[in-house]
Amino acid sequence: MRLLRPWLISFVLLASFFGVSYPASAQRPASARADAGQQIIISERTIHHIQDRHWPDSPAQGAGKYSPGITVQSLRDLINEAVANGRSRSNTNGRPGRIYEYDFGRPIGTTINGNPASRLRVVVNSRNQVVTAFPI
Amino acid sequence: MNLDYQLSDEWEEDSLDLSTVDETELRYNVALGDLLLSSNDVDLSARWGWIPLLDFVLALNEIAGKLDQEGAEEVFEFTESSAELRFARLGGKIVISASYAEGELKVAPTLFEKRIREFATKIGKEVATKFPGLATNKVFKQWSLFEGKR
Repeated sequence: MRLLRPWLISFVLLASFFGVSYPASAQRPASARADAGQQIIISERTIHHIQDRHWPDSPAQGAGKYSPGITVQSLRDLINEAVANGRSRSNTNGRPGRIYEYDFGRPIGTTINGNPASRLRVVVNSRNQVVTAFPI
Repeated sequence: MNLDYQLSDEWEEDSLDLSTVDETELRYNVALGDLLLSSNDVDLSARWGWIPLLDFVLALNEIAGKLDQEGAEEVFEFTESSAELRFARLGGKIVISASYAEGELKVAPTLFEKRIREFATKIGKEVATKFPGLATNKVFKQWSLFEGKR
């Protein structure tokens, strides 16, 4: 044991110095969600952005809309639930950050065609800030 | 194939310091407008006013680079909806379809790449002229596509 201890200490120090990496083919562990379980940030600016594009009365075309009755608090709740429980993937087309998608099993809004949407897509940047979130 | 854009005058450039905004901001909230994509008989344009056009052409350039073999397929996801543009290399052509419109566009790969470069050069010049702060943004300056390079 006395001989093993210096070797173990060296190993732990080296491992922490170089960091622990996961093979590219391995799934990210659940604790890595939103970058090591850190809280996501939903800024007022992001709320305004979502209201402009995706609120029930928004005139923006080609964008999913939330159901009438949505509030800022219920939006925050939807986003937090989607990030906590949804499937995560890298953002696409070379964009930085991650995408979370979660099916609430009930309509939360409409798709761009006006059909009921039960899923939410949340885009989070590399600093855990929500960029946008909309029903799909 | 016509590939062009119309910048919206409604995007909130006044609320952003374009000289310092980061890549995510540039790809989601800058240079918003309409995408114009059509041929003589098919129109896949997305006239929604909010499409981030720098992001669009960067993504399209990446997609073009991956369509280098027969049978290859790629998807462009719009930033604010589940709408998609789908690209496939079939029979020596790039075949483009959309989730939000009927029809297919077919274009030779070399012409597809040429149109992308023309789009990028045009919008790069337009936004750098209209918004001088953007021209000094270090992320924007790193995107050589806007200088006509791939």
